[in-house]
Formats: sequence, C-alpha cells, structure tokens
Amino acid sequence: MAIVHDDAGRRRFLSQAVMGFGMLFGIGTLGLRFVQFLIPSGKEKPLETVLIGAASKIPMGEAVSMDLGGQKLLVLKTDDGVVAFSRRCTDLGCLVSWNKEREQFICPCHQGTFDKTGRNISGPPPRPLDRFMITKRGEQLYVSIQSA
Amino acid sequence: MATQTAHAEQDVKPKSLIDYIQKDLPEHLDWWPYTLGAIPMTLFGILVGTGLLLTFYYVPSTERAYESVDQITHEIYLGWFVRGLHKTSVDLMILFLLFHVIRVFLTRAYQAPGELKWVSGSIVLFVTFAMGFTGYSLVFDNVSYWGMTVVTNMIGTLPVIGMPLLHLLRGGEDVSGVTLLRLYDLHTKLLPVLLGGLVIGHVVIVRLMGFVEVKESRHFHQFYPEHTLKMGMIAVGLLVVIVDLVMIFPPVLGPPANPQEVASDVSPPWYFSAPFMWITLLPGPLALWTLIGASGLFVVYPFLDRALVERGVPMELVNRVVATVAVAAMVALMYLDTQM
Repeated sequence: MAIVHDDAGRRRFLSQAVMGFGMLFGIGTLGLRFVQFLIPSGKEKPLETVLIGAASKIPMGEAVSMDLGGQKLLVLKTDDGVVAFSRRCTDLGCLVSWNKEREQFICPCHQGTFDKTGRNISGPPPRPLDRFMITKRGEQLYVSIQSA
Repeated sequence: MATQTAHAEQDVKPKSLIDYIQKDLPEHLDWWPYTLGAIPMTLFGILVGTGLLLTFYYVPSTERAYESVDQITHEIYLGWFVRGLHKTSVDLMILFLLFHVIRVFLTRAYQAPGELKWVSGSIVLFVTFAMGFTGYSLVFDNVSYWGMTVVTNMIGTLPVIGMPLLHLLRGGEDVSGVTLLRLYDLHTKLLPVLLGGLVIGHVVIVRLMGFVEVKESRHFHQFYPEHTLKMGMIAVGLLVVIVDLVMIFPPVLGPPANPQEVASDVSPPWYFSAPFMWITLLPGPLALWTLIGASGLFVVYPFLDRALVERGVPMELVNRVVATVAVAAMVALMYLDTQM
C-alpha cells in the first residue's frame, strides 16, 4: 500500500495559495499592459468643415468622387439636392461606385447595392451608407467630416 | 515470478522519445492514405526554407512591399522560382491537409483515446489558414489590399471582441503601413513558431496516443524502414511535382494596391473562395455565425461522435454523408466564385 501524504498543513497551503495568486496577478497585469502596448491609441478626430466647390459645378445625376483627409466620399447631385455619402460599404469596407444608368451605388466585393438615397437594397450590407452633412454658404458647398 | 514478468516488461518498454516515435505501426497503416499527413509536413519544411530566403529581400512597408515582391519575381536570380516554390507549397499544403482531414474523418481515426490528435490537428489547420491569409496580404497588390480590408472588417463584426481585435490587427482605424507590418510579423515570426510547435506536438501526440485499433488487424507494419521509406518516396515524388508546377505556372503579380479603387475581382486564393462565396450569398451576421459554428463543431467532432454512438447512430455512414456533402458544397461554392 502506498502512503498518501496529504498532510501539507493549512499554513503551507495558504502560503502557497497566496504566493500563487500573487504571481498570477503580477504576470496577468504585465500581460495586460503588453496587450495595451499593441492597441493603438485612438485619438478623437475633430469635426472639420471642408469646402468642396460650387453646387453648379457638379453635374446632375453624377457622383463626384473625393478623398478628403483619408475620408473617401461621393458627392451626388439629384433633383432632391446635393448629398455626400461615404464610399465605404457598410458590409465589409470596400469602396462603392456610382452607377449612373441604374442610379445605384454598387460595391464590387460582395455585390451590395444601395439606392440613390443611400438605402441598402440588396446584397449583404446591413445598413445604409454613411452620410456627411452638407452646408451651403452662398454658392459654395461645405461638407462636415472627421478627418485624420 | 511476478516480479520477473514485470522486469521483462520494463525491458521491452520504449525508453526514449526516439523509441516512441519508432514504435511499430498496426498492419492497416500499410495502406498509402495513412502517409497523407507526412506530405503537409514536408511542404511545411519547404515553406520554412523558401520563406526564410524571401525575407532577405521583402520589405514590409506600404511604399516598398509591392516593389520588393516585383523585384523578387523579376530581377533577383531564381527569385521567381523561390517565390513560386513558396506559393505552390502553400496551395499543396492546404490541399493535402484537407485530404488528410478527409482520410482521418472517414476512417474515424479520432476515436477515443485519440481525441487530442484531432483537436491538435484542427488547430494546425486553422493556423495554416491564418498563415495563408497573412502571407497573401504581404504581396500588397490590389487584390490583397482589398482582401485585407474585407477580412479585417469581417473580424470587426464579431460581438464584443470584434472591434478591439480589429484595432489590434490593423494597428489603427484603417488598413495602413502598421497593418502590413503586423501581418508581416504574424506571418514571419509568431505564426510560424506556433505552427512549428503545433506540428511537432501533433506528431508526438499521435505517436504517444497510438492508433485506433482495427478489428481484423493483427499484424504489424514496421515504422522503420518500411513506413519511413514510403513517406520518403512520397516526399521525393512531391518535390518533383512541385518543381514542375512552378515551371509551368510561374508566380504572377497583379497591379499594385490602390486604396482609391477596389480591385475588379477581389476573389481570394482558392482555399478561401468557398467561405468567400458563403459570406456573399448569406446576410452578414448569419454567414459569419454559421462559419464559426461549423469550425466549432469541427474541433469537437470526436466528442460528438462518441455521444452519437452511445445513442446508436451509425457514425460510419453519417461520416460518409457529411464528408460528401461538405466536399460537394465546397466545390459548388468555388465553382460559383469562378462564375462571378
């Protein structure tokens, strides 16, 4: 018969448990800090108002593609006025293009389509295209974007 | 008397790791599909070798990445060949891993007490896919740039951990030079070390756990030299085939990454084309959840098998049906991808 040594004692058990938890806590904290090291610091981007040009310069039924400080957008002029949409497809972030004949925004990656009001009408996109606010001062149009 | 037998048994018992690995195999392992796991292992060796060579020229920056791949492909002596070996070996490694999985699945070799063999092997498969993704992103042509965007966005749609993981992978809000550097580090440092360790672990586990007993099998198949020679012959044959494939299909390079315009065809490499079609056909969250669910089921399959057998389900037949349906679905989705 083998003898089982299970008389480690309360004192020894407690001291080992405290030491163990202390070690785990220390290593865990260090590990967490390392993960923080890898996570980029997110700076809140300020809202900016950028001049995009005169309303009359944008042709009717066309979408003008722009890149304003990393934000890619399409400025569309229809009978209802001028609107600015983000080109970033709400599905997985590819860039949509304007199809003049079909009057739709089409994403080439997974065949997502949006109508001219930015509503998602077919394919995988879960929500409408993001819109940017346009303000008109005289003849000039300004768009509010969060730039990098 | 009793002590004598115990002593004799101890003498026969394998002593070192080498003895463990050189243990004789059951007779049924004479059948050649039982060498299918050795093929991806050989290819992994080729990938490590050629990958090391490629790192001497590759520059992981958005300005230089595409240029350096172009230089490797068109200027450096045998550069096209080294890159071709690397590319072709990945394709074949994944192909033969899939064959290996199908063989194990159909013969139900994952049965108790070898569940750990299956679980460790499935992690090897997933890490290999991660290597495939990070590797093809490094080329930084237009297809891989948008592939990077799409895949990282997909990770971002996961609940709770999605967005932190997306920021961790991208190193910021958008796909940028930091993203490329992170994928490069994953592809050339973290993942290969992990994969190497996992592969060694998988092989050691397989040898320690042993093979599932087959009722009719009574004899032995020598591991050395018989089985080893068979694996060696397959490895040599494989090398010839790879060299031929690289000669016939030398590596190509698409147009450089263009953040302003999506590539006309963002189809990923063949081993991702089935899930790619799947997420195109199904609405976003559903597609992702079914993929995650299927991967989870895949990992725990041995335990599922055991539970079902206890309920009297004929698993042999079930596995045949599941394998046929899975392969047919994959081929159908891949075909659909070529049509779109």
